[in-house]
Amino acid sequence: MSNPHKTKKSDLPRWGMLIDLERCIGCHTCEIACKIENDVPLGIWRSWVKEIEKGTYPDVIRAFRPTLCNHCENPICVKVCPVGAAWQREDGIVAVDPHLCVGCRYCMSACPYEVRYIHPTKGIIDKCDFCSTRVDAGLQPSCVEACPAGARIFGNLNDVKSEVSKLVATKAVSTLKPDMGTGPRVYYIGLNTATMEIKREAKLVWEK
Amino acid sequence: MGKVVFDVQYQTSLAFLISYYFYCTGLSAGSFMISTLSYGFGMEKFKPASKMGVVAAVLLLLLAPQFLLMQVGWPIKSVWNHFVYFNPVSAMSYGAFLLMLYPMNSVVYGIFMFQGNLKMTKIFGLIGIPLALAVHGYTGWILALGVARDYWNTGLMPIVFLFSAMVSGISMMILLIMARDRFFTKEKVINHDLIDSLAKLLGWLLVVDLFLVFCDYSVLLYSKQEAQEVAHFMMFGKMSFWFVIVENLIGKVIPMCIVFIPGMRKSYFWLILASVMNMIGILAMRIVTVYGGQALPLM
Repeated sequence: MSNPHKTKKSDLPRWGMLIDLERCIGCHTCEIACKIENDVPLGIWRSWVKEIEKGTYPDVIRAFRPTLCNHCENPICVKVCPVGAAWQREDGIVAVDPHLCVGCRYCMSACPYEVRYIHPTKGIIDKCDFCSTRVDAGLQPSCVEACPAGARIFGNLNDVKSEVSKLVATKAVSTLKPDMGTGPRVYYIGLNTATMEIKREAKLVWEK
Repeated sequence: MGKVVFDVQYQTSLAFLISYYFYCTGLSAGSFMISTLSYGFGMEKFKPASKMGVVAAVLLLLLAPQFLLMQVGWPIKSVWNHFVYFNPVSAMSYGAFLLMLYPMNSVVYGIFMFQGNLKMTKIFGLIGIPLALAVHGYTGWILALGVARDYWNTGLMPIVFLFSAMVSGISMMILLIMARDRFFTKEKVINHDLIDSLAKLLGWLLVVDLFLVFCDYSVLLYSKQEAQEVAHFMMFGKMSFWFVIVENLIGKVIPMCIVFIPGMRKSYFWLILASVMNMIGILAMRIVTVYGGQALPLM
């Protein structure tokens, strides 16, 4: 983690995303666009917007944090997967191979970002893959394309001329849980204590 | 700082079926240890427990993977894929091989024991010890290498699992041997020396187990934010009944007191009570560790 922007193969693209929380208006359009594009069932999300209220009236603000798979440089899910179904493409996208995944859910419990879910009808793990089919076809991920505020910027981190590279290089960006040693490739502008707030409340299965 | 007004609900990934699986492998590993004490290490006083131990170990290890198969989304595909697509850095990947090798070795060991072939019994018993350690230790590693959760991510986890396996295995052996001697032998007399030795062993292993829990929690309470919160959740929060009362008080402290007080240890009533309480407590420990350890959201 000495150089967080170092990637494995510089001649290949290294897809990454920058989310500008100061631009995010909390409209949840990215959530819906993702659901439509990837056919995500009810009750689960590949990407969602967390909402946090801060302060007391009249000095009050509502902050938003869109969350998605961080497509880590050293993904824990890839390490722990017993059958190699969680894998990292050469362009850095962390994907799930539906033919290999057996739905053991070990990766779900090992992921520090809780972005993996078990698909209720397929019985296998599913998660954000940066809309890899769209990216392969030269398009932007659907959440990026849908964002009305332009808060999500997607591009090649290995290309110094790309917008995402320039912003990551020049702005004060941070990542979620850098201490986990995962090297996330989703950067945030404006991440602060409020948007990192965790609601540590557990609803146990035997509670009504 | 702020108040979270909208967030998605995290799906529980590993829960009760995995707890039962860990419980069964623990009982199996514990009873296998008892069976090897005489044939593998020459402790003759435990010899009457050996055959019972190996039978229990094999039966429980046949039962244990059924919980795993119920847990995974694709049971048959999972058996095939675990053997064909091996991931050397995944603890779970080794499990499939251990879950095959350990019962196979136990069966061979048991057959030689029932035939009275002491030399081969000793060899397969000694091969079985590392396998039994591995088959239960790896379940602790599965949790320890789930690095996202501070409750699991500790080097103590495999050792805690091994000791809880041994105490629950001994409790089960005490109950099984009492039942066998009382109802399925001609003399209908319980082998008192054997039961007494097992009870003393149980007591000392419970001391170690409680010490390990103390080590784990003392570090958690001083550690980073999530670790502190999960320790409070276990000790004073919603999980406290299961962790403090069922796991540690009923499951460990009271049985330990019973087996260390000579008058109570000699009484079969109290000893049966201690063993049953300990088995319930260790089951609670599996549920607290697996389900409770990941109940708090991370993001």
